This record gives sequence, C-alpha cells and structure tokens, in this order.
Amino acid sequence: MEETFVKDSAVRKPKKNKKITWAVLKEQRQLIYMSVPLMAYIILFAYVPIWGWTMAFQDYKPARDFSEQKWVGFKHFEFLFKDDSFLQVLRNTLAMSVINMILGFTTAIILALLLNEIKKVFWKRTVQTISYLPHFLSWIIVTGIVATSLASDGIINDVLMKLHLIKEPIQWLSEGKYFWGIVGASHVWKEVGWNTIIYLAAMASIDPALYEAADMDGASRYRKMFHVTLPGIKPTIIILLIMQVGHILEAGFEVQYLLGNGLVVDWSQTIDIFVLKYGLAQGNYSLATAAGIFKTVVSVTLLLIANGVAKRLGEERLL
Amino acid sequence: MGGKKKSVLRFSMVLLLSLGLVLSACSGGNNKGAAKNDNNGQEAGENVANGVEPFEISVFIGQPDQQPTPDNKIYKLIREKTGASFKFEFLAGDIDQKLGVMIAGGDYPDMMTANQKLTAAGAFIPLEDLIEEHAPNLKKHYEKYWNMMKDPNDGHIYNLPNYGVTNADVTSSWYSGPAFWIQKDVLAEAGYPEVKTLDQYFDLIKQYKEKHPTIDGTPTIGFEILNYDWKNWGLFNAPQHLIGHPNDGGVVVKDGKAEIFADKDYAKRYYKKLNEMNALGIIDKETFTQNFDQYMAKISSGAVLGMFDQHWNFQSAENALITQKKDERTYVGLPLVFDEGIRDHYKDRPALNLNNGFGITVNASEEQAIRIIKLLDTLIQEDWQKILAWGIEGEDYIVKDGRFMKTQEQRDQFTDATWKLANKADSFYGQAPKMEGLFSDGNATDAAAQPEEILAGMKEYDKNFLAQYGFNSYVDFFSPAPENDIAYPAWSVDLVDGSEAKIVNTKQNELSTKYLPKAILAKPEEFDSVWDEYVTEIRKLNIKAYEDRINEVLQWRRDTWSVK
Amino acid sequence: MANQTISPGPATAAAAPKSVRKKRVEPILFNTFNTLFMIGLVVVTLYPFLNTIVVSLNAGNDTIRGGIYLWPREFTWQNYKAVFASGTIYDAFWISVARTVLSTLLNLVLTTMLAYTLSRREYVFRKPITLIFILTMYFNAGLIPGYFLMKDLHLLNSFWVYVIPSMISAFNMIVIRTYIGTIPESLVESARIDGAGDFKIFIRIIFPLCKPVLATIALFVAVGAWNSWFDAFIYTSSRQELSTLQYELMKLLSSSMNANSNPAVAAGAGMTQDAAVNMVTPISIRAAVTVVASVPILLVYPFMQKYFVVGLNVGSVKE
Repeated sequence: MEETFVKDSAVRKPKKNKKITWAVLKEQRQLIYMSVPLMAYIILFAYVPIWGWTMAFQDYKPARDFSEQKWVGFKHFEFLFKDDSFLQVLRNTLAMSVINMILGFTTAIILALLLNEIKKVFWKRTVQTISYLPHFLSWIIVTGIVATSLASDGIINDVLMKLHLIKEPIQWLSEGKYFWGIVGASHVWKEVGWNTIIYLAAMASIDPALYEAADMDGASRYRKMFHVTLPGIKPTIIILLIMQVGHILEAGFEVQYLLGNGLVVDWSQTIDIFVLKYGLAQGNYSLATAAGIFKTVVSVTLLLIANGVAKRLGEERLL
Repeated sequence: MGGKKKSVLRFSMVLLLSLGLVLSACSGGNNKGAAKNDNNGQEAGENVANGVEPFEISVFIGQPDQQPTPDNKIYKLIREKTGASFKFEFLAGDIDQKLGVMIAGGDYPDMMTANQKLTAAGAFIPLEDLIEEHAPNLKKHYEKYWNMMKDPNDGHIYNLPNYGVTNADVTSSWYSGPAFWIQKDVLAEAGYPEVKTLDQYFDLIKQYKEKHPTIDGTPTIGFEILNYDWKNWGLFNAPQHLIGHPNDGGVVVKDGKAEIFADKDYAKRYYKKLNEMNALGIIDKETFTQNFDQYMAKISSGAVLGMFDQHWNFQSAENALITQKKDERTYVGLPLVFDEGIRDHYKDRPALNLNNGFGITVNASEEQAIRIIKLLDTLIQEDWQKILAWGIEGEDYIVKDGRFMKTQEQRDQFTDATWKLANKADSFYGQAPKMEGLFSDGNATDAAAQPEEILAGMKEYDKNFLAQYGFNSYVDFFSPAPENDIAYPAWSVDLVDGSEAKIVNTKQNELSTKYLPKAILAKPEEFDSVWDEYVTEIRKLNIKAYEDRINEVLQWRRDTWSVK
Repeated sequence: MANQTISPGPATAAAAPKSVRKKRVEPILFNTFNTLFMIGLVVVTLYPFLNTIVVSLNAGNDTIRGGIYLWPREFTWQNYKAVFASGTIYDAFWISVARTVLSTLLNLVLTTMLAYTLSRREYVFRKPITLIFILTMYFNAGLIPGYFLMKDLHLLNSFWVYVIPSMISAFNMIVIRTYIGTIPESLVESARIDGAGDFKIFIRIIFPLCKPVLATIALFVAVGAWNSWFDAFIYTSSRQELSTLQYELMKLLSSSMNANSNPAVAAGAGMTQDAAVNMVTPISIRAAVTVVASVPILLVYPFMQKYFVVGLNVGSVKE
C-alpha cells in the first residue's frame, strides 16, 4: 500500500503511461471492474449500430435485406457536395453556430459570475429558477413570441420608435443581415439560464480558503471575481468549449425553419434543413447518413485540433 | 456519521419507491391487459350466444388523433354486433421516420392507412380476390371506380379510398377550396357588384381601403399572401385558376399534356399585378415574413380585405370573427379569372381519394384478413353508415317527417372534441370506405350538406347578403363543376421518393419561395429583371423530368381508367 | 449602516475597516447595477412562460386574434379540460415518473463511477476508454440501425427501452471528471494510506464530494428523461400502456393541429358556428400542454439548488 501511494504521487504530475503488465492490471483491477463493463455497454449501444453507415454508400431501401441493397459508391456524397447551395448552406451553418457559441458562452459565464455575487440566497435562487424557465418551452412557442415582438407593431419596433432611433418600423425578419443575430439572440434568451447551471455547480467546488486569502489581501470584489472565481471555473469552461467546437456543424434546424421565410432563405438554410428536404422527406436515408458521416469527420477533426491547442496552452483538456 | 446514514437511508428509500413505481406501472399495465381480456371474454360469452366471435384488429392510422374512450358508444356497438374491436395506434411525430422503422423491421399491425412508401415496400396484400369473394357490398360500392383503385405499378388494389365515391352531386353549403376571398362589407358597400376579374377585385379593395384607412382602429390591410412552411398555395397556385384551370397542383394540363406554369407569361401577369398593388400599399408589408398565427390574428382582427387561400385553412379565424359579432368582416370566395371571357373552374367534382384509406398488411393472417374485409363490408351498409355519420337516432340527431336534423345542443356536441372521443368513431370512420351523397331515403350522408342544417346554421346577415345576389348559398358564386378530366387531378400523381422528378419539384418550389416575394416587393421598374432571373433559374432545372413523370401517370390513367 | 444589508462576501467583516471609503461606494454601485440587471433578466425570462400560462387560460377562439400578453382576455378552463379529458395521460404520467427516477439514479451512479476511473491518471486504460466515450458525442448511427439493435435486444415495446440505452452520457461523464479533477488529490492519497481500494475511495470520498456536480447532472438527466418523447414514438408506440406523458401530450397537440388543418373536419366546424366559442385551437392547446408537461419537472430545480453552495463540501471534509 505504501508503495502504491508513492507511485501515485510520482505519476501525478509528469504523467507517463504505465506499461500494461499483469502486475499493473492486478493492481488496477478495481478500476477495471468499474469501467470496462461500461465500455462494453457503450460499444454495444453506440458503436455496434455503426454498420448503418454503409447506407451512405448504397441506395438504401428499408424494405430490402442488407444483401439486396444496391451499392452506389460516393453518389450521395457527390449529391451533397456538388449541390449549388451546399457552400451557402455550410456558410450559414458555421456562421450561426459560431455566433451561438460565442454568445452562449459569454452570456452564461457572465450571468453565472453575477449570480454568484448575489448574497441573498432567496433572491439568488429566485433569479436562477426564473431564468431557466424558457428552456422548457418548445421552439415553436419561443419563435412565436420572437416573431410577435419583431412585427411592425411589436415591442421592439415600438421601443425603438419611442426612443426616436428609427422613423419607420423595421421589417426585422425580411432582411438576411439581421437573421443570424436574431437566431443567436433567441438562443441566448431561451438557454442562458439553463447554461448557467453548470458553472454555478463548478463554482461550488472552489476552495473557500482562496476567498479568505483574497480578503486578507484586501482584494476588491472584481479582483476576486477575476482572480479566484473565474480561474476556479476555467477547467469547466475550457472543457465545454472544446466539446462545443466539435459540434460546430450543429446549428439546428427548428429555429431557422420556424423564423425563416422566402426573403431570407439565403441566410437561413442550414445543413440540417438541406438534409431534411432532400434526405428524410424523400425517403433518402442514404443522403442523411452521408451528411452524418461528413459531419462526424469534421467534428472529430476539429475536436482533436481544439484538444491539441488546449494541450499546447497547458490548459485542461479532453483527452 | 449520522448524517451519512440518514442520506443512505433516504437514497434507498427513493430507490425502493422508484422500483415500486416501475413494478406497479408494469403490473398495472398487465392487469389492465388482463382486465381487457376478461371483458372480451365476458362479451365473448354473450356474443357467442349471438353467434359473433370476438376478435381484435390492430390498426395504424397515419395521422394524429386521440384514443377514443374505452366505453365509446359507437365502438361498443360495433363490438357487440360484429365482434370486432380496434387497437389503434396514431401517428404523432414525423411519418417518414415512423414508416422508415416499421418498414425496415417489417413490424406492421393488421391494418394501416395507405402510404406510397408502404405500398412500394410490399406491406399491403392485394384486395381484389378478397373483395370478390367475401365483400359484395364493398364490391358494389367501388364498382365504378374499380380500375382507378389499381396501383399504376402492378395493377393490384391495395387500398380502399376513404373519400370520393359519391352517389349524387350534392352541393355542400360550404366551399372549402381555393378562391380569392373578399370581405363581405367590401361588396356590400360597393352595392353588391358581380366580380369576375382580378382587376375588378383589386379595384374594389383599393377603393374600400382608401375610404376606410382603418377598421376598428386597426390599419386596413388590402391583401394577404400566406407562404409559411408547407402552406404555400397562397403564393403559388393562383395563376392556374386565373386562366380558368382547376387545381392541378404545380402544373396545368393543356390538351392532355401537363406543364409547369410557374414560369409562364400568365403567371408573370399575376405577379406583376401583385407588384403594382404592392407599390400602391395594398399588400401587407409583413405578408412574406409572418407566420401562420400572425396571419390568422390579422384576419380575425377584421382588418384584412382580401387574400388568396383555401377556405378550411382560415376557417378558425372566421369563427373568431363570428364570435366577435363581426359578420360583415367574414369572407366571400370569388372565382376570379383574368378576363371576362374565361369560365371559372375553381369548384371541382370530388375525385377518388387515391392513396388514402385502409389497406390490410402482410402481417395479418389469412383468417384475419377475411374477418377484416367482412367487417368493412358490413360497415359500408346503409344502417351502419348512418350510425357512423349521424350517430344514434334520438341521441345524436332527430328525425322529423323522415328528415334528419339536430337540435342546437346536438349540433354543439359535434364540435366538442372531448364529447366525440366517447360518442363518435371518427378515427375509424375518417379512414374507412364511406357513402357520400345521399342515403336511399334522401337524407344527406353528411350533416353539413343537409339542407335543413344549412338553413339552421345561416346567420341573418348572410341571408340578406345572399338575397342581394339571389343566391341560396355562398357556393353559388362559383360556376358548377364540369365533369372531371378522366386523369384529374394531376396533384395526386406520386412523384416517387428520391426520383429526379421529386428533387426537381423540391428545387422549383425553393426557387419560387425565394424569387416570388422578391419580385412582388421589387420596385415596379425592377420587376422584369427579377422575373427574368427567376425564369432563368427555373429553366436551369431539369423540369422535363418532372413533367414527364406526371404525363406518364396521366397517360396510364387514361389508358386504364377509361374503361367505364 | 446602509451597507449592512448589502454586505458583500463571506468573511468581509475582517477586511472591511481597511479602506472603508472606497469600499462603500463600489459595492453600492455594483449591487445596484447587479440588482437592476437581475430584475431585467427576470422580466425578460419570466415573460415567455407567463405568457404561455396566460394563453392557456384564454379562450382558444379568442386567442387566434393575438394580442394576449399578461392577462387573459376571455378566461376559461376549457383548454385544461381538453387536456385532462384525455384518459391516457394519467397512466402515462406515472410511466414518465418511473423512467425519470430510474434513469436519474442509474445515470448518477454509473456515470460518476466511470468518471472517477477516468480521472485516475495512473489508470492504464484511461486514454482509450475516454476516447471511446467522447467519440459517441459526435456520431449517430441513424434511426434504422438503432431500431434493429433495440429489436435484437428485445427492448421494443418494453419499459426498459426508456432506461437501458441511455444509462451513461459522455458529456455528463466529462463534466463530472472535470469536477473530480478539482478535488484535492491528498484526500485520495490519505485514504489509500488507510488501505482503501478504488471502489471504496469512490463510494466513501469521491461520490459524497461531488454533490454540487451530481445535483447538476441529476437535473440534466431528469429533464432529459422527462422531456423525451422520441423513444416512445419509435420503440413503444404500439403499446398504449407504456406511453409517456410527453408522448401523450404530443399526440393531443398534433391531433388538435390536424383537426384544424383537415379540410373534412374543418368543413364540419363551419356548420355550427355558435359552438365555435367553446372550441379549442392549436395555439391554446399547445400552451396548456406546455404547462402540464413542464410544471412537474420545474419543481426539481429548487431542490437541487441547495447543493450549489460555495465550498460547502470540500471545506467540510478537509477538517
């Protein structure tokens, strides 16, 4: 036991992979018992169905057996990449997801920091609970309210008119240049409270001694926020950021579908909408699968890059 | 330490509780199943005495609906008289996804509503022989339509169409289809003129709007064009009607040949008119950005003078106007054309509702298939049809001198969704083969078409309004529907999933969604250049693939359907 | 005196006398700003939910006119009556409760256990297992292969299909692992010296110390399980007695939408227009359904919040 302890602490910082020997396996058997069955579980439920990716290279028909399917090579990938609108759709997807990511992260972190400064427990919990309510509304309700607010006689135009910032109501949803911003803002509105929860939990792990020490030094509130709280949740922020980078092609489709219209279609179409239209709606599972594979390749590449960058910078990382 | 023990205790309590819940939920389910069986068993006992053997039919209905209550009176009657009970599964969610897994797994119930994906996957059994052998009433019911029901690909009959088999040309008082709608007060104020052309229509709207810049405090809106989600006909469909063509979807059939009309000159003429009207401020500025709820809100405010739409689509907004006692703000449908000489063809004869209605799946045993077809054969008979459509005499309707009618209370019940779950068999009836037109005693098969009921539902305002025109109902604004072309309608042609025809059609719709609003909102001097760009883009597509597919099927229909 | 009520931070009393003048102005400014900001946030995020409640209490036929904001124009219970008239939602409610409780418990135990093993830097399989789990976030085998897997495992039309396929989420695992990373290694080391194995360390030390993050994950899992309807739609839809609350409510909503967009049904409605007053419409049903579906799960959060108190756990164990 003494030995284990010494080894542990030695390994801790300059981590080196141990050689796999019987002795090591025996020593770590409890870790193995606790994780390997779960690995088998995830392989069964997540990896075994990947045989379905073969669909991307077939003209898949659900009624046929595997052996009866027609193989077509990269036809569906070609359809996807050669479509005139593909680049535009890719641009829209990237733009909206980057905007959502930046807005989502900054607003949630700022809100978490500010909530943390509220000292009255009841008030703090009230704000938390209320701010997460919109998460439970469906997009169709939220976009309904967004559309009403942005109408000619909606509250946004009303306020801007009363402040004499504009002379005539703006048709917010008729111009492509506003669309990405509206989608981003809608996401923030719906999810900011929910996204904050994870940071609030992370703040709970900060050692109170650090605050006490800062107080001893006479640190101001801002100093504590920036030098104790923020560093305390930094590992969480970085990890979430890396994971989110991998989801860069997931800009969704519901909001865009519900708020979009003919006048902004060049800004609103995302990859997912494209796949819905030409994949699922046409009974073309193969195209949907091909698009899924494309997204996975991009995701994993970006994920590894982001992880590598974090490693370089000496930050917390995923792998 | 004490704290920890307590939390362990609490944890195990929660665990126990949840396990208990699961178990009780499961056993509850089982009990219920058992109870149901017991019921069946009991009834079986009774029924065997009556000579009916109980059986259960599992049914998948490809649209959303609610489970009828367990003691629903009509289903109970069916069970007592025929032994049949239904186990319904309704769709909630995306039908393509649901059918995809059902087909892949081959997991079908006994009976399903028609879908081309299912037919293509071989999910249904051919019904011709079954009907010939076991269902004389069904055979008679569909006799005139027998060839039309055959599948274009292999000539078998897989589904029993639920609508379109009519025995009389009964004019319903209510026109549910497409038209240019105009607020009744606009006509009233202009002295009840006859409106035939698009130009006359917009002139009336323009005059009224100038005279009444606001209605009940809301700024007057001249014209609305809804193009939201799949509800795109408000923008797309008008041109074909303006040249006197019936609703064929995306094409016009001229001399037996279908061609798209989106890029034709008469389409341009319509959109150019809209462009001019927009420049005059007649068209709602938000018309292309609004969602359906906003569109309905505007209509129900009473401030919208006109729109092109299908009546059923905005019916609930009209209901809202009526409850506000704004009868003069409700609408008249006008069958407009470009020029006086063109005969309007908005109203059409009901066509057989192909690719709809029930089919029996390959999973039903031969015995079960026979039982199902025999059941449908029983239920198509007139006494059952009366029960399914009107209900139980005395409870759901009354008979006076042989005429069916309803008391006000009975009328109201029929619009109460909750009441219907216990007292109507609509989930079944909506999809089943049915009589349409008149019963042999002269009563209408549909309460909405019974003259007595039409009169009872008519408001004073409408009686006066119609009297000005000398009409009996608003349907009289339309020319009577001529005999349908044998291959009509082209919109029911299956474009085949994933085929070039379908992809081209999707792309063409995308272009229209994008360019038409742009063209309408453009400055008048820029209209032509936007239009030309639109036409150029459309012509880049392989439109021929789309037209060819439609023509191929229309030709097939003419060849096979003309027999009788 | 005034700053007593807005006294900032724990243990400030000791540090307060140092630069009283500066400290007095700053916190007041900050707190005023913060309070105003939070009030604004509460207004903005409370509105959509409040509006949904108001719409659910307004006559459907009247709601079509729009313009319902903070108070019903024509009050009615009709929409709720229509929801509760559906006989199927009561059983479905208990199924939803059961799946939610069970999923949450299983997820908490299994995910944390896995996260612990993958936080041990000396563990020889740490990297491969981590990678195997992380990748699951970025691909999706597709609907049909997933369906076949459930079919082969005899999970179709079984209650367990709600629980078993989603016992571990890679995202939650990473979040917990990150949190465990902030727990002082010395605690683990001293336990080892006392002769504890990994399993014991996990149960005795790590699990109790993770309370804040476990509260978060419990919330995520519970909300996810409660809100999901897709599994009921795809896997169990032919067994009514296994239906969940969300799926039943969804059926209710789509059938009311269908009734309003179905020419045949609408034609019937055209007849007896006097009864239109009592008719429910999709907008009002949607609002009532949303309230009924979300209120039970909304009640979870306030119970979780007490675990978000700064430093409570780490500090107490350290003693």
